[in-house]
Amino acid sequence: MPEIVMQVNGRRHTVDVDPETPLLWVLRDALGLVGTKFGCGGGFCGACTVHVDGAATRACTLPLARVNGRAVVTIEGLAHPVQQAWADLDVAQCGYCQAGQLMTAAALLARTPSPTDDEIAAGMHGNLCRCGTYMRIREAVRRAASLAASPGAGVAR
Amino acid sequence: MSAVVSRRTFLRTSVTATGGLLLSFGWDGPAPLGAQPATLQPNGFVRLAADGTVTIWSKNPDMGQGVKTALPMILAEEMDADWSRVQVRDAELDRAKFGGQGSGGSGSMREEWDLYRNAGAAMRELLAGAAAETWQVPRASVRTERGRVLHAASGRALEYGALVMPASRRPIPQAPVWKDPSSFTLLGTRVPGVDTDGIVHGRPLYGIDVRLPGMRYAAIARCPVFNGRVASVDDAAALRVPGVRQVVRIPGHENPTFLMPGVAVVADSTWAAFKGRDALRVQWEEGAFAAETSETIAAQCATLAATPGTTVRAVGDVESALASAARVIDVHYEAPFLAHATLEPHNCTADVRDGHCFITGPLQMQTSGARVVAAVTGLPVERVHVQATRLGGGFGRRLLSDYAAEAAVVSQAVGGPVQVVGTREDDLRHDYYRPAGARRLRVGVDAAGHITAWDCHLVNISRNAYRRGDGPPWSTETYGLVAGVSAAIGPDLELDLVPWQIPHVRLRYSEPRTGVATGAWRAPAHVANGFAVETLLDEIAQTTGRSPVDLRLELYGTTRALPAAGEDPTPYSPDRMAAVLRLAAERGGFAQRPPEGRVRGLAAHYTFGSYCAQVVELSVTPAAGTAPRRVTVHAVTCALDCGLVVNRSGLEAQAQGGIIDGLGHAFFGAITIDRGRAVEGNFDRYRLIRHREAPRAIDVHVVPSTLRPTGFGEIAVPVIAPAIANAIAAATGQRLRRTPFLRDGYTLG
Ligand code: FES
Ligand code: FES
Repeated sequence: MPEIVMQVNGRRHTVDVDPETPLLWVLRDALGLVGTKFGCGGGFCGACTVHVDGAATRACTLPLARVNGRAVVTIEGLAHPVQQAWADLDVAQCGYCQAGQLMTAAALLARTPSPTDDEIAAGMHGNLCRCGTYMRIREAVRRAASLAASPGAGVAR
Repeated sequence: MSAVVSRRTFLRTSVTATGGLLLSFGWDGPAPLGAQPATLQPNGFVRLAADGTVTIWSKNPDMGQGVKTALPMILAEEMDADWSRVQVRDAELDRAKFGGQGSGGSGSMREEWDLYRNAGAAMRELLAGAAAETWQVPRASVRTERGRVLHAASGRALEYGALVMPASRRPIPQAPVWKDPSSFTLLGTRVPGVDTDGIVHGRPLYGIDVRLPGMRYAAIARCPVFNGRVASVDDAAALRVPGVRQVVRIPGHENPTFLMPGVAVVADSTWAAFKGRDALRVQWEEGAFAAETSETIAAQCATLAATPGTTVRAVGDVESALASAARVIDVHYEAPFLAHATLEPHNCTADVRDGHCFITGPLQMQTSGARVVAAVTGLPVERVHVQATRLGGGFGRRLLSDYAAEAAVVSQAVGGPVQVVGTREDDLRHDYYRPAGARRLRVGVDAAGHITAWDCHLVNISRNAYRRGDGPPWSTETYGLVAGVSAAIGPDLELDLVPWQIPHVRLRYSEPRTGVATGAWRAPAHVANGFAVETLLDEIAQTTGRSPVDLRLELYGTTRALPAAGEDPTPYSPDRMAAVLRLAAERGGFAQRPPEGRVRGLAAHYTFGSYCAQVVELSVTPAAGTAPRRVTVHAVTCALDCGLVVNRSGLEAQAQGGIIDGLGHAFFGAITIDRGRAVEGNFDRYRLIRHREAPRAIDVHVVPSTLRPTGFGEIAVPVIAPAIANAIAAATGQRLRRTPFLRDGYTLG
């Protein structure tokens, strides 16, 4: 089997599993990074969202082969004001969708640093929350935008 | 003789094959050897360490309803602990320490209130007594505050941690005195969930995150037709899939809520298990329900609705009252099957060895889960050890423990730890669905617009019958329906009927038969029944020219008019019902003219000891004409009475989440049955509400109360759909009598 080389959260990994395996399962089962969640396996829910070369990407439908030579960031490697904003507003209910929501929100703010409510709704549309935390997610994205804009904004750790 | 497996050493820490990941999942570790730090632990719920750290165990699992934060808050309040020094752990199953364990029926606040207050008050009393003894002053001269004992006269103070040793020599108070609610400083505030940090950093918290040394993964093929069985299996292709280790037949249990028959493929990774399962060739015996469709079930309901049915409750003489009414409204409502669709799919990890079974997973009900696992493995229940993890959603799905039973029997066959994982398709097509059904309501109104007769014929599939429960099939399906008030019939706890001031009331029931698996779905029966009752009331108010608020107030009556409610510590109160209705109507501007192009709708409901009313403001475009019409929900005003507020942040979150859940399922939710199987397999077909479709604003108003807290995980759900339907009727003139509204041409956005 061809070896795949990728960077995950700044660390280089050489993986020799079937290159058709979706990135999600390589992260969860081979690398032990279980923060990225399995929700639907079909690209519908966004629970598995990671950043691949900075872009929010569905890990459940991305074959490992397509990640060769690329840089992946998962929730475990995220350090972004969205995490502080999510904590401040107590966004999570069950919390299962929130890794994906945070990854999508961070990517949205990278593109659109101060989004309007409509831009937030459109940007977050692909991430389902079964518990219905949408009101607080909207507030938290706004808050993260202002945290990021204020000088010396803290990074959640 | 088999080796003794200590639950204390099991699962403490583990490292994945690729290294680095440390998981503890709450099982208590072995006490460290040598010098042990002194701790004070007067009961199973709380432990104080000499450094001042307070550890509190949440006996019931958290699925997003916030119990893992709220229960410890109650204890911390009574103990006067410093919340910033509190650590919370998920309790393992332990009857001696915790009694029965599980989260359901919005019951944790109601049922655990005394336990957590007593545990905290005992701790406070031990510490205050120890300080008084140390200082040689009367107990009454010291008080506690935020992790310290204070002696005002001398200005002395001792940290709780410093009192561990002297307090541990004191007798544990058996009936400690509770604090007066007016002195509460923590309860009623907004406290973020205790797992927040773990959630925002992606730490392993959920059942699906469990990783044990040597653990295998399993996926299960189940008969696509409900109640089918395995006829034969050809596993040659499955065993050739790289990573697949073994194929295990699961015989199933006679109770289908315990364990369904199937074939498990065991592999080195989740993905290999899925691929192996796809490669299985199974012949199924499809059984007696293979021709069933949604249409055959609906036709059965229609036929039954025309029969007399079984009379469940009767007050007065409904038939004569209907015959002499000035006007009779006769309507028919339908409700589809709903799936739970927890975002964390079905999964569980089990390790059966040396005559013990260790379950780690998203169990909503640890105590009954252990019984189910014992039944399917043949192990005595004391040898089934359960550690519930955080749950990625429950909504009633995880009241059952079938996934734990599956993991246990596969682990038993494999002889090592196994995690069973379901795909979304497994989850949606093999759920225990909210049962479908119909309601026919005939209501008699006199010339002045007062309701004189109320006849409800409930024709609903019974989840009690499905789970082989004791009692009649209707006992799980009547919740939220109306009972008349007589000397003999007050609020009926068992059937969860609401007593209304109507002289002639009858409730009848007929049971449709189906093969479809059924179970409890958030606010079970209340969602479908509340929709019918609350939309019908609105229609009656409109036809008789009465205010929907006044009509309801008249029906509620007053608390004094009800017969005494027996032992229930939180009996149904019409006064509290009336208060939330008035509050929602006032804050939601129900009596005022809405902005141009918008309409308002109102509904109210009582569920599991809590009261809720909502006013919605929405617009429909286009207002007239053909489908599809888009409904934009501009605002929802929600009034709640759940007694004393424990965690305001959690309460508001549940109200908002419940409204969004109820809204989404009202517009989109339905499982279709075709050829005996569930059709919808993923979120492309089983549509959940998305960000853009949520209300623009949801305001939550709480009736101030010092009454015993009641649950709030379900109460908001049944109210939103009728409030929306009533507003849609105001906008378009069309009365919606079934969900999903999408079927009648309405969408959200
Ligand atoms: S799990 Fe990838 S989009 Fe749902
Ligand atoms: S918080 Fe539960 S799915 Fe979003």
